[in-house]
Amino acid sequence: MTYYQQQLQQLQARLYPQPEVGDRLRRARHLIDRQFADPLDLGQLAAAACYSRFHFLRQFKRYYGCTPHEYLRTVRLAHARRALLAGQSVRDVCFAAGFDSVSSFSGLFREWAGCSPAAFRQRRAKSNFGEAGS
Amino acid sequence: MNIRLTSIPVADQAHALTFYTQVLGFVKKTDVPLGEHKWLTVVAPNERDGVELLLEPMSFAPAQTYQQAWFEAGIPAAMFHVEDLQQEYERLLGHGVHFSVLPTAMGAVRLAVLADTCGNYLQLVQL
Repeated sequence: MTYYQQQLQQLQARLYPQPEVGDRLRRARHLIDRQFADPLDLGQLAAAACYSRFHFLRQFKRYYGCTPHEYLRTVRLAHARRALLAGQSVRDVCFAAGFDSVSSFSGLFREWAGCSPAAFRQRRAKSNFGEAGS
Repeated sequence: MNIRLTSIPVADQAHALTFYTQVLGFVKKTDVPLGEHKWLTVVAPNERDGVELLLEPMSFAPAQTYQQAWFEAGIPAAMFHVEDLQQEYERLLGHGVHFSVLPTAMGAVRLAVLADTCGNYLQLVQL
C-alpha cells in the first residue's frame, strides 16, 4: 500500500466514518446545483438530505467549509458571470440566477468579482471587440 | 493576478499528448516549438478559455527524482474535476487505465486515482 493510500484510509476512518452522511449532503448540494434559480430555503435543502434543518446546517458547513446559503450564493454568482459573458442584460441575469433584486445582486457581484455586473459586462464586450478587431 | 496555467512533468511530450487527449479527453491548445521541446498545453473541451495544463518536459534531473518520489508514494501530481466519477472510471478502464485508488467516498466528495503513463498519478474528484 502506498503512502497516499494509507493517508486516505486514515482520514476516512478518522474524519468520515459514516459514508452515508456524504451521500446525503451531496443530494442537497446537487439540488442547489440544479435548482439555484428557484427560491430554495434551508428546509427544502435539509429535507433533500433527510436531516433536521440545524443538523443539516452543521454537517454541510463541516463537510464543505461553507453554509448552504453561501454555497447557493456562489453558484448563483457563477451562473450570473457566465450569463454576463454571454452578453445578457444585468436585469435578466439577476432574476435568471435566482436573485430577488438588481441592487442586492449588484452588491454581491461587486463583492465577489471586484466590479459591478454592468462594468464586468462592459469590459468583456470591449475585450471581445478588441479580439475580433485584432 | 489570475491563475491561467498549471503544469505537470512528463518524460515524453508526444506520448503525454496522446494520453491526455485521446484517453483523458482534453484538447490541445498551444503547441509552440522551443528547441528540443515544446510549449505544449491542453484544456478541457468544454472550457477552452479555462486553465491550461502545461505538459512540461523534464530535462532537469532533480525533477525526475522528485517525480519518482511522488509516484512511489502514490501522491497525485494533479487533480481534475469530473461530473460523474463512476462513469469516468468505467470509461477509462475501457482504455486500459490503471487505478491505484478505486472510486471512494471521502466526506462529501468521491475520488479515484489513476496513473497517467507519464510518471504521474492523477486524482479525479466528483463534488
